Amino acid sequence: MDVDSYTDLMPIILLGVVFFISAIAMLYWSSKRGQLRNFDDQAKTIFTKEEPEGEISDSFPSKY
Amino acid sequence: MSTAPQSNSQSVNPYSSQDAAERAELSQIDASIRSSALFFTVSAIFWLLAGTVFALIAAYKAHEPSFMGDSALTTFGRMRSAHLNAMALGWGNNIIFAVGLWIMARLCRSPIRHGGMLTIAGIFWNLGLTLGIAGIIKGDITSVEWLEIPHYATPLLAISYALIGVWGIVAFKFRKGEHVYVSQWYILAALFWFPWLYVIAQIMIIWFPARGVVQSVTNWWFAHNVLGLWLTPMALATAYYLIPKVLGRPIYSYYLSVLGFWALAIFYNWAGVHHLIGGPIPVWLISAGIVASVMMVIPVIVVGLNHHMSVVGLHKEVWRSPTLRFTVFGAISYTLVSLIGSAMAVRTVNEVTHFTHFTVGHAHHGVYAFFSMIMFGGVYYMMPRLLKREWPSATLIKLHFWGSAIGITVMVVALQIGGWIQGVEMNNSEIPFLEIVQNTMPWLKARTVSGVFLTVAHIAFAVNFFWMLFAAGAIRAKQGPTLLDSTSEEGAA
Amino acid sequence: MKNLPLLFCGIFFALAFSFTGLVLSSNIQIGSLTQTTETEDENGNPMEGETLYPLMASGLAQQGKQVYIEMGCIYCHTQQVRRDGFGGDTGRNWGPRQTVARDYITQDRVLLGTMRTGPDLMHVGGRPLNADWHHLHLYNPQITSPGSNMAPFPFLYETRKIEGAPAANALKFPPNSEFSPEAGYEVVPTRRAEALVEYMLSLKLDYSLPEAQIVE
Repeated sequence: MDVDSYTDLMPIILLGVVFFISAIAMLYWSSKRGQLRNFDDQAKTIFTKEEPEGEISDSFPSKY
Repeated sequence: MSTAPQSNSQSVNPYSSQDAAERAELSQIDASIRSSALFFTVSAIFWLLAGTVFALIAAYKAHEPSFMGDSALTTFGRMRSAHLNAMALGWGNNIIFAVGLWIMARLCRSPIRHGGMLTIAGIFWNLGLTLGIAGIIKGDITSVEWLEIPHYATPLLAISYALIGVWGIVAFKFRKGEHVYVSQWYILAALFWFPWLYVIAQIMIIWFPARGVVQSVTNWWFAHNVLGLWLTPMALATAYYLIPKVLGRPIYSYYLSVLGFWALAIFYNWAGVHHLIGGPIPVWLISAGIVASVMMVIPVIVVGLNHHMSVVGLHKEVWRSPTLRFTVFGAISYTLVSLIGSAMAVRTVNEVTHFTHFTVGHAHHGVYAFFSMIMFGGVYYMMPRLLKREWPSATLIKLHFWGSAIGITVMVVALQIGGWIQGVEMNNSEIPFLEIVQNTMPWLKARTVSGVFLTVAHIAFAVNFFWMLFAAGAIRAKQGPTLLDSTSEEGAA
Repeated sequence: MKNLPLLFCGIFFALAFSFTGLVLSSNIQIGSLTQTTETEDENGNPMEGETLYPLMASGLAQQGKQVYIEMGCIYCHTQQVRRDGFGGDTGRNWGPRQTVARDYITQDRVLLGTMRTGPDLMHVGGRPLNADWHHLHLYNPQITSPGSNMAPFPFLYETRKIEGAPAANALKFPPNSEFSPEAGYEVVPTRRAEALVEYMLSLKLDYSLPEAQIVE
């Protein structure tokens, strides 16, 4: 059983178009607002002075 | 770690006064979340063990049907459902609340607020789950997949979850620092998505049932999204944090991680109807689900590439880290299980695999080889930092690793070979059904054997964990809050 | 991406989009389906005076469905027939035609299932298996189907001493069956077993629908 006619799907198609356009708009907005720059710094936020970049921070325990 | 690259920062002396403020912050964060993270981890391990027992019973019954066959309490359907819910909501959710929220807290760089509320919500979560699983066994099972828990327990689960979810969102709102890390997006998104999925599914299937197969569409939109929009993002968040963190090297491409996140958010949502291929629902819905399932290849490859390039050149360090043995095993499994999943959505493949043990193998490939292995890695990393102790036994860690790795590999391979044969034979109406059943027996027995390996692994894990938690003469860290002794010998299995 | 409201929008929309597209749209399409006759007139209306399908289940069969749910039968049995040419369902006599959405509109809980450890049951009432067979099979599948991996359900039956004449609904074991009760005893179905078997017998796909005709 399938749709009687594809006009049944019009609401969902419309919503899809709205969604797509707003996704592009948000992407444009983020890029303008500088959200998409500086990725390298964002990648390094996991490191701290205690567990800094460049150091391995896990190993097997020494006993048993 | 005699072969580790030396850092050029002041971390050689962790007690230097310049670092004091930031160092206190990290251990302050760990301390503030300690009690709830411990509560959730202990709960998770109890449910892991309970779920393993249910699994062994169900697996054995599959080839010895009269086993425990005298009571309605232990029908295959009830045991299997008790297993699924204990593992998904008991092990899975509790370990996410432990590890995922700890990672969120650390990345938000702020000691957590209302940690007590988190623990209380967690207590209610586990109470609700205990009530629910007892209800399943008693016979109030709903027979709706992934929603078997009877209606008297589910509101408790929904409310306690809401408290926990809100906590995570508040933590994000009050984060310090300029930057946001990929793990935080995944955790935030998952915390938001899960309650909506759960409440909508409960309303449309159980409380005010929708008409006919709308229930089925809702069911599989829900259930597949538990995998794709809850377990997967949480596991990816954990892997994205642990892999670069342990190796001391940032993720290969932050840009790829943005792409991967949004591609997952858009495509994974629609894939769920692939559970209904060939079924009594509109064909266009099924086609949409197949397209989305195949499109998932994009975020999966992106994530796989990112993780792979992040470990390239450091394979030895991966092997020497208990955390990364598990987590990288999980990350590799993610790529594999997802690609197989995309293939299973294609109609010609699905014609064979649907309704067979192949699907069961695939499901365990995802929830165990991918999700659980990554979360095991998370526990191995988190616990020393919470308790300021080392893990007591390297041997138990290795036993856990090998038991899990061998067990899940045998399970997936056995079920998928057996399931493929089962599917091919089922489509041949010349072959009597009972003969097909007999042909699956050796593979189902292999599955039980794999379950024994997994049981050994889980016991090793639990023993090591409780030893660490309770041992009076616990091995204290030698220097600073970053704990694993840098002069310890390399673990080489 | 650092902005909480922005992230929130994207995350919300992603879920809302699939919810609308999959769940709401199927609710609209399938929600408007009603029972109808095997063929419709040229305006798409049910034919006057003919039976409306799918039928509503009888009281005892509904109770039996509840037993089916409580025992977790769905985890080994499906209730959906795939179309001819896609899998071998019709070839196995699991149904004379594929199932369509309308077949399930009278059900309060739909039990499509996803595993075929055992055969599909959508049309089990239309196969040559009578109540006696079902009772023996449920009591212990090995009686009718040696080598089956279906569990026995002895707790749905009662073994008791025969008083006077044997009960009319006592299970009729094959001669010299190792599962027969000892001499002087009979195995009788409980009400739940009777209901469950009634439910099995009610599962029949022996009617056509305008969108899914049975082809002889």
